[in-house]
Amino acid sequence: MDLAAPHTGFVAAAYGISALVLAGLAAVILLRDRKLRAEAEALGRQRLKDAP
Amino acid sequence: MQYLANPARFLQIANAVLPWVWAAAALTFVVGLYGALAAAPADYQQGETVRIIFVHVPAAWMALFVYTVMAGASVMAIVFRHPLADVAAKAAAPIGAAFCFLALATGSLWGKPMWGAWWVWDARLTSMFVLLLLYLGYMAIWQAIEEPHRAAQIARIVALVGFVNVPIVKFSVDWWNSLHQPASVFRLGGPTIHISILWPLLVMGLAYTLLFLALHLVAMRSEIASRKIRQLRIARIGDR
Repeated sequence: MDLAAPHTGFVAAAYGISALVLAGLAAVILLRDRKLRAEAEALGRQRLKDAP
Repeated sequence: MQYLANPARFLQIANAVLPWVWAAAALTFVVGLYGALAAAPADYQQGETVRIIFVHVPAAWMALFVYTVMAGASVMAIVFRHPLADVAAKAAAPIGAAFCFLALATGSLWGKPMWGAWWVWDARLTSMFVLLLLYLGYMAIWQAIEEPHRAAQIARIVALVGFVNVPIVKFSVDWWNSLHQPASVFRLGGPTIHISILWPLLVMGLAYTLLFLALHLVAMRSEIASRKIRQLRIARIGDR
């Protein structure tokens, strides 16, 4: 890729925004997954503990 | 499909395949980005700007594909009452919305140097914008309606009615006079793109598909956990 060619700023911006959005999406999905699975596990354990 | 109806069995399979899907996605992204940024030549008319298509086109393909997955899952929920169908549709929506946003944003970044405009109310661009609104509307239904069964019923209808827009997006360049170029990969008569640009495009398409698969499996796993939390909380209230 010729970095001195015209319009390379547009190319960099397109790749930058793609990387940002996809990495952000992956981070949000993975963090939500970790939080919810931990919460479900904790509630399940609590229920077993509370069972008569 | 009925084999996967049991959430525990689905989770077992998802957890087993996820590391492989992540690895395959990473590998195809490395190969695809090498092809897109290093191996593919500059276009004789567009110059280096042609490289935007390697992130724009796969995002647009995925935006259409994910909505098709949502509509298919909604059919499964209505016809077969598959217990994971609504989970699959709901989990896919934010991922599809992100791809749709990226298709519009990167298309705009290509349009400014090539067409001289960030945006035109062209049939392809407008129908793609409508697709983004459909994604946002679908997600808003799940957020707005607290009762999950009621939310699922309305969301299924929105997914199926909105699916009408998918062929409109695909064929808009054939049905109306459009500034957007016509189909050049998936068309009768084969692709019109030179192989040196086609292969990185197809590899990037595969990378985006594998990324969707990985994110979708994780999002479905989260949704199953979220439903379990709701059930456990209701059971806890019942116990008191």
